[in-house]
Amino acid sequence: MTESRSQTLAASINSSLAGLMEADDRVVLLGEDIGRLGGVFRVTRGLQATFGPQRVRDTTLAESSIVGQAIGMSLSGLLPICEIQFDGFCFPAANQIITQAARLHGRWGGTDDLHLVVRIPSGGGTRGVEHHSESNESIFAAVPGLRVAYPSTGEDHRAVLDEALATPGPVLLYEPIRLYWKRVPPAPAAVPPRHPMAVRTVRPGTDVTLVTYGAMTLTALAAADEVASEVDVEVLDLRWISPIDHDGVLESVRRTGRLLVVQESCLTHGVGAEVAATVAEHAFTSLKSPVRRMGAPHEPMPPANDEYHHVVQHKDIVQALLEVVS
Amino acid sequence: MTQVTTGLTSAMRRQILEQMLIARAVDEEAILLRKQGLIDLWAPCTGQEALQVAAAYALDGVVIVPSYREVAVALVRGATPEQVVAGWSGRSFCGWQPRPLRMFPFTLVLASQMLPAVGYALGTRIQGRAEPVAVFFGDGASSEGDAAEAFNLAAVEQANVLFLNVNNGWAISKPTSEQMRTSIAARAAGFGIASRQVDGRDPEIVYDAVTAELRLLATEPGPRLIEFSVDRILSHTSSDSQEIYRDEADIAAAVSRDPVAAYRRRLLEDGTVDPDWLAELERRTSDLRADLLKEYAR
Ligand SMILES: Cc1ncc(C[n+]2csc(CCOP(=O)(O)OP(=O)(O)O)c2C)c(N)n1
Ligand SMILES: [Mg+2]
Repeated sequence: MTESRSQTLAASINSSLAGLMEADDRVVLLGEDIGRLGGVFRVTRGLQATFGPQRVRDTTLAESSIVGQAIGMSLSGLLPICEIQFDGFCFPAANQIITQAARLHGRWGGTDDLHLVVRIPSGGGTRGVEHHSESNESIFAAVPGLRVAYPSTGEDHRAVLDEALATPGPVLLYEPIRLYWKRVPPAPAAVPPRHPMAVRTVRPGTDVTLVTYGAMTLTALAAADEVASEVDVEVLDLRWISPIDHDGVLESVRRTGRLLVVQESCLTHGVGAEVAATVAEHAFTSLKSPVRRMGAPHEPMPPANDEYHHVVQHKDIVQALLEVVS
Repeated sequence: MTQVTTGLTSAMRRQILEQMLIARAVDEEAILLRKQGLIDLWAPCTGQEALQVAAAYALDGVVIVPSYREVAVALVRGATPEQVVAGWSGRSFCGWQPRPLRMFPFTLVLASQMLPAVGYALGTRIQGRAEPVAVFFGDGASSEGDAAEAFNLAAVEQANVLFLNVNNGWAISKPTSEQMRTSIAARAAGFGIASRQVDGRDPEIVYDAVTAELRLLATEPGPRLIEFSVDRILSHTSSDSQEIYRDEADIAAAVSRDPVAAYRRRLLEDGTVDPDWLAELERRTSDLRADLLKEYAR
């Protein structure tokens, strides 16, 4: 697909949504300013003109309303895909997501389930003002009953949407804002994911397994390429952070004997901690060096001028990779 | 309050009384089961039987999204007593099958059912088969942000939703006078929802009101709301004693307005039922109570 390779992530998401709406009348989009404006990131640009205001719905400015009504719409037979404007604003919807969407299956006696996607633009690197550059995916990844994805490419994003619509249960779909308009390099097809929820091997390697996800995948890949003459790094993009494809990570770590986990969000209580703990439990005897984790300190995302010191940078990963193998 | 306003047949009036007595029996038995430690908690509908039974009949076939105290509604919908108690006994989160009964599970996170209810109505409209939805919520729940969001969303989208507020004067120990400055009906009107206040102690008034509002819902655009006043006769649940926060005279006044006793007296006086009918029903409810005990004593 040469065409998709030259697309930005934003354009690719737009085409995926258009394709899904074209193929299935039950798909509806809900969010603040997604229709007339095309979303604050223009990800849904043009969709309302094509599919009409009934299916591309500019909602009231109320996140609980967005997710709450989508739950009801899903129960009525639709396939709603919601957009939260920025991840800093998903908390008003947290009650509907956590106490309702995530628990519906059990409460309805296992007879019903939701096809519900909540897209959440997330992360820093675009000089966002307060609450416009956070990474809160770990909070929701900790909630049983939710599946949480954080893809880094348009192809993976499409795969997440396909999985979410084909299989029951709500999905939170995090989107890396700083990759929206980047010309993302083509996804290496070397090792295709073993199954739809599996890790993707972005770069095969033999010396160390670098596990990451979201926008950090590109940073990590660049760092791996930079140290290639000294360290052969295997880069895994988790794609799904709940459930995590632990088997895929363990298989790689058993080969390389080393693990570095990199995430943009706070290190504490995070996705990386879960990966590290699982490797320590199940691949301890394969390890040649201590597991290493990198992430933000346990502090709120700072003003944009200080982001550089808060979020893991390319140079930090380069240094860590050299240290892990030494 | 005793004025007969409805075209209800005698058979229908007997059926309403029958269901009110059954709901009362389930409440009484569940309270005993709780006292014996055979179930974990009970939220009685005592005092709301007139409202719940008559509304459930008027809502025939309409999707119902309950709060958590709509015991009699569930029974009228066809849930068995065992199924209604199941959620309070550690057996499951919802004893009945929501789809066939067209009744959602109880909601224990107050007001969180309201936005999905609006969404369900909108969803059916988007699919070209617009269905009305009736959603119950309490006076206490009306303070939650989701209640305000649901009012606004339903109004601005002109959703086919009938809001049924059950104002029993209390949110556990907090009286309505300390919860809000205006009635819930007035508040709803401010959102652009057609609303009115109705006495929820008389099943015939309730039946008429719900029937009329459903008819209007079908013919006029936009959501509607009824604020029902009812008495809270018992404590909030099996876990509190209202004597701690409520004065004796207030409790006695609520007991004196017991809607089940009142409707029973009324139908006996006007000859709709006779002592034999009541004795037969008494036998049925004691069998039903015995079955419930047997089920939960296991
Ligand atoms: C969001 C939320 N907060 C608190 C509670 C605990 N709680 C259960 S019932 C109740 C009072 C509810 O009052 P109301 O809505 O008037 O219903 P009623 O109990 O009178 O039927 C409270 C505070 C809850 N279930 N959900
Ligand atoms: Mg109340």
